[in-house]
Amino acid sequence: MYKGIVYILVLFLFSCELPPRSGSSTAGTTKGEKKFITADEVSPDEEYVMVTTAVNLPLYVNHDQKAFLAWGKKTAVKVSILGPSEWDVPTQIATIEQVIPGKPAGLLINGTDPGIAQVIKKATDAGIPTVVYDSDIPNSDRHCFIGSDWYEMGRLQGERMAKIIGGNGKVACMGILGMENMEAGFNGFQDALKKFPGIEFIGKYDDKANVETAARITADLLTANPDLAGIGGFDSNSGPGIALSVKEAGKAGKIRITTVDAEPEHLALVKEGVIDYLVGQKRELFTWLGAQFLFDMRHKTMPLSADDASAGVVPIPQTVITGSIEIDKNNVDQFMQ
Amino acid sequence: MKLKDRFTDRVFTLGGSILLLCIVMAIVFPNKFPTIDNFSQLMLNLSIDTIVAVGMMVLMIAGMFDLSVGSVVAFAGGMAGYLMYYHHVNFVPAIMAGVAGSVLIGFINGWLIARVGINPMIQTLAMMGIVRGFALMLSGAGIQNFPYEYTVIGQSKLFGLQMPVWYMLLVVIVFAYLTKNTSFFRRYYFIGGSEKAARLSGINVEKMKVWAFVISATLAGVAGILLSSRLGAALSTSGRGLEMRVITAVILGGASLSGGYGKIWGSFLGALFMALINNLLILSRVSGYWQEVILGAILIIAVGIDQLILKKMEK
Repeated sequence: MYKGIVYILVLFLFSCELPPRSGSSTAGTTKGEKKFITADEVSPDEEYVMVTTAVNLPLYVNHDQKAFLAWGKKTAVKVSILGPSEWDVPTQIATIEQVIPGKPAGLLINGTDPGIAQVIKKATDAGIPTVVYDSDIPNSDRHCFIGSDWYEMGRLQGERMAKIIGGNGKVACMGILGMENMEAGFNGFQDALKKFPGIEFIGKYDDKANVETAARITADLLTANPDLAGIGGFDSNSGPGIALSVKEAGKAGKIRITTVDAEPEHLALVKEGVIDYLVGQKRELFTWLGAQFLFDMRHKTMPLSADDASAGVVPIPQTVITGSIEIDKNNVDQFMQ
Repeated sequence: MKLKDRFTDRVFTLGGSILLLCIVMAIVFPNKFPTIDNFSQLMLNLSIDTIVAVGMMVLMIAGMFDLSVGSVVAFAGGMAGYLMYYHHVNFVPAIMAGVAGSVLIGFINGWLIARVGINPMIQTLAMMGIVRGFALMLSGAGIQNFPYEYTVIGQSKLFGLQMPVWYMLLVVIVFAYLTKNTSFFRRYYFIGGSEKAARLSGINVEKMKVWAFVISATLAGVAGILLSSRLGAALSTSGRGLEMRVITAVILGGASLSGGYGKIWGSFLGALFMALINNLLILSRVSGYWQEVILGAILIIAVGIDQLILKKMEK
C-alpha cells in the first residue's frame, strides 16, 4: 500500500507544472512579441467586454459605462459590462478569468489594483487585445493604458488648497486607504502642501467611499481640530460627505474643501459655495478611446508593418494620459447641464 | 439509504441540482461552458471560498458562525507579504507567521465567546473590523513581487488544474473523514444539537468551541496564503464580502443556523453551486446589478424548497 502511495506521489511530482519565473516569457515570447488576435471583417457578434469592480458606482455608470455603451452602438459591435457590485478586486479578477476562455474581441479593464496584473497577463497571453483604463497597472503586459495621473490630481488639489487657505493652517484628506491610485493622489496632495511651511498636514483617513463615513470622519476632525482650515477628498463620495458635515457644523465657506470628480452633486455644492474646487477625470474620453484602441488593434486600422500581430508590434499607444478637468465657481455653470 | 432519506439529504438534492444546472449550461453555452479552460477556472475560483467554507461548516454544525474570516484571509496574505517584501524573510517562516497570526485570531475569538460569553456575532463582527485594519496596515496599497517559491504554491498546475484546487479537495476529503469518523469532530454535532445535553454528557463545550474558532481561522489563514500566492499580490481588499458568500454556501450545503446539521461535502457543493451560478451569470453577460439579487433569490428558493420537501417527507 505504501509503495502505491509513493508511486502516486512521484507521479504527482512529475506532473506538476511550475509557473514561469518572473521575467521569463510565456510560450517563448516576450512582452513585445506577444501575438494577438486580429480580424479583417467587423462582425456584429464580436464582443468587447469591460470589467470593473463596484460596477454600480454612479461615477462608473454615468461616465465610463455610458460612453462604452454609446461606443458599442456607434461601432455596431456587442459590448458587455461585467464585475462585482461591491469594491471586490479578487472577484473582478475571477470575472476576468472566466471571460478569457470565451476569447472576446477586446478587454477594457479598470485598473483598480496592482493585484490584477497577473490576470491581465493571462488575457494578453491568450492573444486578447487588452486596454487598462483609469489607473495604470504597469507590470501587467497590458497593451495600452489610458487614464488619469492620480499623483498629478493630488498635486493640483494640494496647490489649490494651499492657495485658498493662504498657505496657513491645518489640512486633512480622505479617500480609500490602500488603493494604489488614491495613495498616489495622497502623495501628490502632501507633496504640494510641503512647499508651504505654514500648513500642517494632520493625516489621511479611510472613508471607504461612503458618504456617511466621510461625514462622520469630518465631524470628528472638526471636533478635534476647531482650527481646521481645509479637507481634501479623493473618492467620489468624499466631497459630498465632507460637505454634508461642514454644512451641518455651520462652517460652510470657512472650512475649505477640494475634492475629485464632477458629478451633479459635486457641481451643486460648488455652486452653493460649500466646495471650493473640483478636479475631475476625463472619464468618457478615456473609456471611448480605450474601446476604440481595442477595435483598432483587432482590425488593424493603422498598420505599422505588413502584419503587426506576427511582427510583435502593438499598433496602439502604450500610455495615454487624458489629463484633468479643473472646476471652481468661475466655470461651474459650464458643467451644470 | 432509502429514497425518502436521499431526498432529505442536502448533499444528494444539491448534487442533483448541480448536475441539472451543468446539463442546462452545456446546452445553452455549448462552446463556452463545457471546456477545460472554463472548468479549471470555475474550480480555481471556488477553491478559496470552499477552504473557508469547510471551517465555517464545522462552526455551524456547532451552532456558531464567524464573520471575521474574510478579514483573516486578507490578514494572512498581508502578513506573509509584508514579511517577505519589507523584511526579506524567507517564504516558509513568512507563511508560518501568516497562519500563526490567523490561529491567534481564532483563539481570541473562541476564548472570548466560549469563556467570557460574548455573542459570536458581536465578537466576530468586531474582530472583522480589527483584523481588516491590521490587513490594511500590512498590505497598504498592495504588495507584489513575491519570491518565486511563494508563487509556486498557488500558481503551479497539476493535471491542468492550479494547485489551490488540489489543496481544496485535500481539505474537503480530510475534514469529511474527520467529521464522520472521529469522536472529536462528532462532538460538534452534539453541541449544535443541544449544548446543555452535550455538557451533561461530559463534553467540554467551552474547549470545543475555542477549537472550532481556531480551526475556522486557520483554514481562513491558509486560504489567505493561497490567494495571495495565486494572485502574486497581497491585497487589503481580499476577502471583502467573503463571509457572506461562505455562510450562504454552507447553508445551501445543508447547515442549519441553529446547529446540529451539516456535512463537509455539503459546504463544497454549496460553494460549487454558487460558483456555477456566478459562471452562468458571467457567460450570459448579466450585469453586476443583478448578480447579488439572483444569488440572494436562489438561496431563499433553495432553502424554501428544501423545507417543503422536508415537511412533506415528515408527513
